[in-house]
Amino acid sequence: MSTQHLDENIRVLIADDDEHILQAYREAFSDTESTQEMRALDALAAELFEPSDVTDDEPHFEVVACSQGNDAIDLAKQAANDGHPFDVVILDVRMPPGIDGVEAGSRIRELDPDVEIVFVTGFSDMPLEELQRRVPPPLRLHYFNKPLSFSQLAQDVASMVREH
Amino acid sequence: MSNTKAKRSLQRKVSLRLSLAMAAFIVGVFLILRAVITPAFEELELEAAHADLVRADQAIQTDIENLEAVTLDWGPWDDIYEYVSGRNPGFEKSNLVRPTLTNLGLDMMAVYELDGRLKWSQLLLDGDELPLEDLALLGGDDPAAHLLTEHANADSRTVGIVNTALGPMIISSQPILRSDDSGPVAGALVMAQFLDEKRLARLVERTEVDMTWLLVENYAFEGEHEFSDIMIGELPVRLSDELVTNCIVLADILGNPYLLVSAKTPRTITSLGQQTVGAAVLFLAAAGILLMVVLWWFMKGTIIRPIQELTRHMDKIRQSGDLSDNLSLNSDDEIGLLADQYDKLNSEVHETRAALLHQSFKAGKADTAAEVLHNIRNAMTPMINGLDRIGKVFKVTDGLHVKKAVEELSNADCDSDKAGKYVQYLDASFDRVVTVHAEATDDLKVVASQARQVECILSDQEKFTNVAPVAEFLVVDEVVEEAAMVVPKDAGANIHVEIAEELTHYRVRAHRVGLLQVLSNLILNAYESIERAKGGGGRISLSAKNTVVDDTEMVQLTVRDTGTGFGEEVRDSVFQRGFTSKSEGATTGLGLHWCANAVSSMGGRIFADSQGEGHGAEFHVLLPAAQGG
Repeated sequence: MSTQHLDENIRVLIADDDEHILQAYREAFSDTESTQEMRALDALAAELFEPSDVTDDEPHFEVVACSQGNDAIDLAKQAANDGHPFDVVILDVRMPPGIDGVEAGSRIRELDPDVEIVFVTGFSDMPLEELQRRVPPPLRLHYFNKPLSFSQLAQDVASMVREH
Repeated sequence: MSNTKAKRSLQRKVSLRLSLAMAAFIVGVFLILRAVITPAFEELELEAAHADLVRADQAIQTDIENLEAVTLDWGPWDDIYEYVSGRNPGFEKSNLVRPTLTNLGLDMMAVYELDGRLKWSQLLLDGDELPLEDLALLGGDDPAAHLLTEHANADSRTVGIVNTALGPMIISSQPILRSDDSGPVAGALVMAQFLDEKRLARLVERTEVDMTWLLVENYAFEGEHEFSDIMIGELPVRLSDELVTNCIVLADILGNPYLLVSAKTPRTITSLGQQTVGAAVLFLAAAGILLMVVLWWFMKGTIIRPIQELTRHMDKIRQSGDLSDNLSLNSDDEIGLLADQYDKLNSEVHETRAALLHQSFKAGKADTAAEVLHNIRNAMTPMINGLDRIGKVFKVTDGLHVKKAVEELSNADCDSDKAGKYVQYLDASFDRVVTVHAEATDDLKVVASQARQVECILSDQEKFTNVAPVAEFLVVDEVVEEAAMVVPKDAGANIHVEIAEELTHYRVRAHRVGLLQVLSNLILNAYESIERAKGGGGRISLSAKNTVVDDTEMVQLTVRDTGTGFGEEVRDSVFQRGFTSKSEGATTGLGLHWCANAVSSMGGRIFADSQGEGHGAEFHVLLPAAQGG
């Protein structure tokens, strides 16, 4: 078991065939310009008024996004080869016309036994037991139904990484 | 396209094969009869013809023997002995007279002395006396003459047939002896009879054989034999279509072939045999044809017609698609069993198809629902996250110290460096608000966009709401009986449900589940209407009839109750959305509005009628009639 230090970015690979959702992921998991401005403002406020209780304990994510399962496998393989494997892989279950997320997760699991794999889907026709059978182990497999708050998901993802 | 006619019908095949089998049987019987029976008849006929020849021959031999007996009676006699010895001259006058020949049936009689000289003779031909020389027989050096006129001892005899100038004769010669057969021989006694037409007629009459004779030298042997080859005895039998001719060659007294006696036997036995064979064949043919007709009739009734009915029924079902239509072939044999199994199979297929249709309908709905849910969930995800961020916009000012910064700037003690930073802070705060506002605006656009997408998904879905389920061929009574089960079991005997028996005759083309729900709803409404009437009970009757609407054959199902009914003023509004005559909170079922829509989606319509409040109501459901329904 390894513990992720908060000063290290959490590397997240996201695959979803819906561009709007990918954008929502990016906004929830990335430091936007707005976030950077807010940090500068908070720093100035701390200097001018009182020692701030605002601490930078927010998780920082390094997000790589794609829209197909095969792309996700290639990216995971490339990252592992570069010595920077992803901490978390978030997969949509159905991503036509390519392979589905379960197949992609299964093959990524073969590449990296320690990666946290998260399935996020709008369908509810795949029993969790089936997912656990195809993409073991259950402790590193997570399942969420859409719609969901990605900012909450980001917190959950950070927790997963911290716990492991 | 229907094709119920086989290239070669079973009936035709069976008839042809039966006919061929019968023809072969008759031909076989005919050949067997001809090979076995006819030769037996021919053999019998030949035996009978041979017996005729034997009888003819024996008749001639009997005449010869009789003549010999007469000669034997006269030869050993003292009177003639003395006469031929010259010592009894009166004998001639008293005995050797014409009546003697007539009485003895002789045509010739002669007495010779010992040295062969003629002593006395008499020859009669057709009543006329002729000289003995006319015979050209007894005289000269003819060997036959010596055999007849001279006998060396008492045992000498000459008997047989001889040729004369007047025709063939049977002749007998005996030595003349004393009455006690003692000798010495005094002379010879010769007696003879012509083998003429009269004798032949007598023989034919006596033997009943169509016999005749002729000299061998006059017989036409038709190349079978040369005359010199002719042997004494029987000749090969001659066969013609009508006669069997048997011949025997008799020898004269010298042992030479002389007289050919023939016996002609009509071929009555063969003819009878042929008639018998013909009758037998005719009888068998008639029996065979009768048997064939019976077999054909039996096969037609028990095999061909049921199979034809089964074939027609299969084609009918193939054309109509109505698997609920049973053949119900009343037969207890294997074909009946086949028909029953076919009916059962149809019923099972019918039920399975209905279940599959229902299942596929449900599965389709489930798939559609899952797809819609997926799309909506996908669309809602950016919406939720956008709204999540918009929520944070309203808290953006919570962390800002704008008021305090302004107060510090207003303070005269504030140095210029700090003042610059406060201004910088205020500027950054303002930029922050502007940025968040811009982000919120973008998020709102995303939310609006996703909301429109949800609307599109729902609109898209709406197109499918009008897709009617697959129609089935339904037997009305089955659906009605199932629908009637909606009546509560505790209804007791006060509310009677009457289902007309003739409902089994009606078939409609409709969606089973939809029709079941419609009828259940109407029956339940009727039940509740009767309860509301508080009349202590009532009756719900279910009936049907055929009708034609706009040239379309329809079946009109009627649910009639004795409940509260309704007035004229609401007749046209009972099927409108929201209409109810029930008390508040008592509404049950799917509603008449839904019923109207459901029936309409099945290509039918629904309408109601009532004689007014308190007089019950009728709800009529018109549905397309299934073919044959």
